[in-house]
Amino acid sequence: MLGYATRLLSLLWSLLLMAGIAGVVLPAFHYLPALGETELSWQPWQWLWLSPEFVPSLRLSLITGGLATLFSLLVALGLLIWRYDSRWMRRIEQALAPVLAIPHAALAIGLLFLLSPSGWLMRLVSPELSGFYRPPNWITVQDEQGISLILALMMKETPYLIFAALPALKQLNARAHLRVGRSLGYTPATTWYKIIIPQLYPIVRLPLFVVMAFNLTVVELSIVIGPNTPSTLSVTLLRWFNDPSLQTRFQASAGALVLLLVVAVCCLLLEWGYRSWLAVSYRSRINGYRRTLGGQLIRALGWLYPCLVLLSILSLLVLVLWSTTRRWRFPDAMPTQWSLDAYTHSARLLSTLSWNSLTAATISTLLALLISLCILEHKRLSGSSKSVFDRIMYLPMLLPQVGFLFGLQWVLLISQLSGGWLAVVLLHLIYVLPYVYLMLHGPYLAFDQRYYTQALTLCRKPWQAYVRVKLGMLSPALGSAAAMGISVSFALYLPTLIAGEGRITTLTTEAVTLASSGERKLTSAMALLQALFPLLAFWFAHRAYRPAKTSVSHASTD
Amino acid sequence: MLKNAFLLTGITSALINSSVVYADWQSTLEQAQGQTVYWNAWGGADNINEYIEWVGDQVKDKYGVTLKHVKLVDTADAVSRVVAEKAAGQDKNGSIDLIWINGENFRAMKENQLLFGPFSQDLPNYRFVNEQARQSLTQDFGTPVEGMESPWGMAQVIFMYDTAYVESPPRSMAALLTYAQAHPGRVSYPEPPQFLGTTFLKQALSELATDPNQLLKPVSQANFNEVTQPLWSYLDKLHPLMWRQGTRFPSSSEEMMRLLDDQEIDLALSFDVSAASVQIERGNLPETVRSYVFEKGTIGNTHFVAIPYNASAAAGAQVVANFLLSPKAQIKKQNPTTWGDLSVLDYRRLPEADRQAFDALPQGIATLNLEQLGTTLPEPHSSWVSALEQAWRERYAR
Repeated sequence: MLGYATRLLSLLWSLLLMAGIAGVVLPAFHYLPALGETELSWQPWQWLWLSPEFVPSLRLSLITGGLATLFSLLVALGLLIWRYDSRWMRRIEQALAPVLAIPHAALAIGLLFLLSPSGWLMRLVSPELSGFYRPPNWITVQDEQGISLILALMMKETPYLIFAALPALKQLNARAHLRVGRSLGYTPATTWYKIIIPQLYPIVRLPLFVVMAFNLTVVELSIVIGPNTPSTLSVTLLRWFNDPSLQTRFQASAGALVLLLVVAVCCLLLEWGYRSWLAVSYRSRINGYRRTLGGQLIRALGWLYPCLVLLSILSLLVLVLWSTTRRWRFPDAMPTQWSLDAYTHSARLLSTLSWNSLTAATISTLLALLISLCILEHKRLSGSSKSVFDRIMYLPMLLPQVGFLFGLQWVLLISQLSGGWLAVVLLHLIYVLPYVYLMLHGPYLAFDQRYYTQALTLCRKPWQAYVRVKLGMLSPALGSAAAMGISVSFALYLPTLIAGEGRITTLTTEAVTLASSGERKLTSAMALLQALFPLLAFWFAHRAYRPAKTSVSHASTD
Repeated sequence: MLKNAFLLTGITSALINSSVVYADWQSTLEQAQGQTVYWNAWGGADNINEYIEWVGDQVKDKYGVTLKHVKLVDTADAVSRVVAEKAAGQDKNGSIDLIWINGENFRAMKENQLLFGPFSQDLPNYRFVNEQARQSLTQDFGTPVEGMESPWGMAQVIFMYDTAYVESPPRSMAALLTYAQAHPGRVSYPEPPQFLGTTFLKQALSELATDPNQLLKPVSQANFNEVTQPLWSYLDKLHPLMWRQGTRFPSSSEEMMRLLDDQEIDLALSFDVSAASVQIERGNLPETVRSYVFEKGTIGNTHFVAIPYNASAAAGAQVVANFLLSPKAQIKKQNPTTWGDLSVLDYRRLPEADRQAFDALPQGIATLNLEQLGTTLPEPHSSWVSALEQAWRERYAR
């Protein structure tokens, strides 16, 4: 039974992926029967190349995506080197989940209100310190070089990389390495540089690739805080895909393939960079010196992490302030008139949007949990180390959304699903499932099956033993996986937009739409709600941890 | 005698016609009962969204039609969706029932036979519209309307400034450049292809072109490079002096008003004559902000609603379009604290009570009246839109 279900799910999953990819590859070679185009040709590539925006957009995407990934990696490593072995680490670890739960669009909207020339930071120092009675004519956000975009990406990705590295470090027994290193007189930074980092990379390769793919292809962050002359390639492609004249769809498809290629090449470059670093630094790692410059340098970057967290906190705070403001002019440090109009005027809208977001998140997360349990149980029974599903599972995290989803759009239109809840849940599931599966994978397979065997002798039915004992004991992992699923679903912009056709809108789609307009107060209220629900989910998961433990001990002592 | 007979047949045929129309309308109303109308309308302004929500409540009570507002960032998204549906062979049960539309998008849909109709002249409330009153009621950016879309409101470009720190704002394109030279970084305009950004280009072109009459013809019949040369050399001079040195443009009128409130820029643009009053009322602009127009006039147009050919609820959509034309809906829309969008109805054709209601509308402290709005410059032929947008992007979006 489980075997069939797993095979069926793997088949459906690969069909979906293939449909999405085919929906981009074929138009990229001018094949689109729906428009009466059935002659394969290189025409779209020529159009793409001739378009004046293509090369500048591509360059911008490469610079912002590449640098953001590199800096996030260095800062994450820096923090770990600096603080991994100290009592601070537990607090940092506890603070990770909430930071990760906040949807990136909400953070970017807050960051925009914080850093712009008329933003909160400038208001705090004006006019006393800065001497400005009017905002200076500076470019601090949406700058042409994409620096503010890189910053927004780092705020999101650095905690994620630390989050991914922590279990890997436990697996490597990093603390023992550090202890031995210290007893031999190596500074911790040197132990990291010489021993831990070379072993760490192979384990966190996949999360790193996911970060790289996200940074290169993200749409909603670039819309909010990126430059627009030109915009990043993903935003340029989105505009082309939405162009009423269908001709641009061909060149957009070709561009989406280029974006996919760029992701692949950048991931390979990262791999190549790691290997050449290993080769080049080989001598310096075995020379026996107790201090290294490299380790010290990376460690120094760890200082940036508290700054990034502070920026996230301030970004959320400024959202709270704006959503309760009536009047707040430059250079006042605080609003001069307060009001809850943003919430009361739009109560109906906000509750509909919250309801939509919650529905999509709950259904897709529950489905993802069920599917993950089914596949993992099959995997445990069959004892195979790498199933087909494991290999194709991560692809949606690596494929650029802007191409893949427009490829799927044709499937949704032809199957008449487009614009309905089924389509929204399906596209959410594509992105929620990999995260939920990854979160459950380790704990589920590590479960000591003897508890279940014991329970079988005590319960009347096997499913009771499974649900009450196995799932009961796994409930902390299930809770974290569910919270992760909900926060992923809440943050989805493009999947909701494409599947929902604008008929089904969520807090995220509306907040991004409004962020580009001037309605700061309502935008803030939406962004705040968007961050609130995933935070609640993580809080519940965290709270449920203790009671779950006692109930398990009850069950096992019964 | 003969004359009387003619008159009589004229009257009876008119009567028969109107009763036919009436019977038709009755059946439309019956069909519409219980339908859900998905109205795709630009959703970037709060007050307009609230007005649409009010319309939804009204048509629900009066006609049993459920109205769902699908908020768009750009109306072109809706057009491309209908195109995609036609491409996928979905000729019935389309996802869009009503679109807020005009200009280029209307031309694209009409030329590709993506519209339902003609229907607008048969709407009962269309009797209050006087097609002779404004050219833009029958010629939408140079494209004949021919009943394929129903008028909803009228708009004209206005400028806003804060009297607290700007004494005399620039009243022409040439003066704008001089102003930017004196105050670098304090002027801007929305990014084309956002419609207000494109309108700014058209406004500039109308003032700068040596022969503005060229603009009324399709772009293919004019020498584009020659006509637009003065515009590009003007913008080349203006951009380095603009907000963020012309590397980033506001995305909409709303963002411009936010920047005006933040004092990042000195002038904001809107296509909505009462925008300033509405935003002052909402605490989004200081009370010292006022509106004004350029000396030689500003661009104005009419906006419409249209029904896609594959709409699922064409009857319901017509009922909504008809309600939008009712004096009640138009009066509420022109109220500056609701929206302040100019009515499309002819004052003289209205019943006495409705005229009084229009007279009683508050004007708002920063709203110009029809006389102050001055000359309305005609929109260039709609084919200019994409040509201008494309040329702009090629020059400045790289």
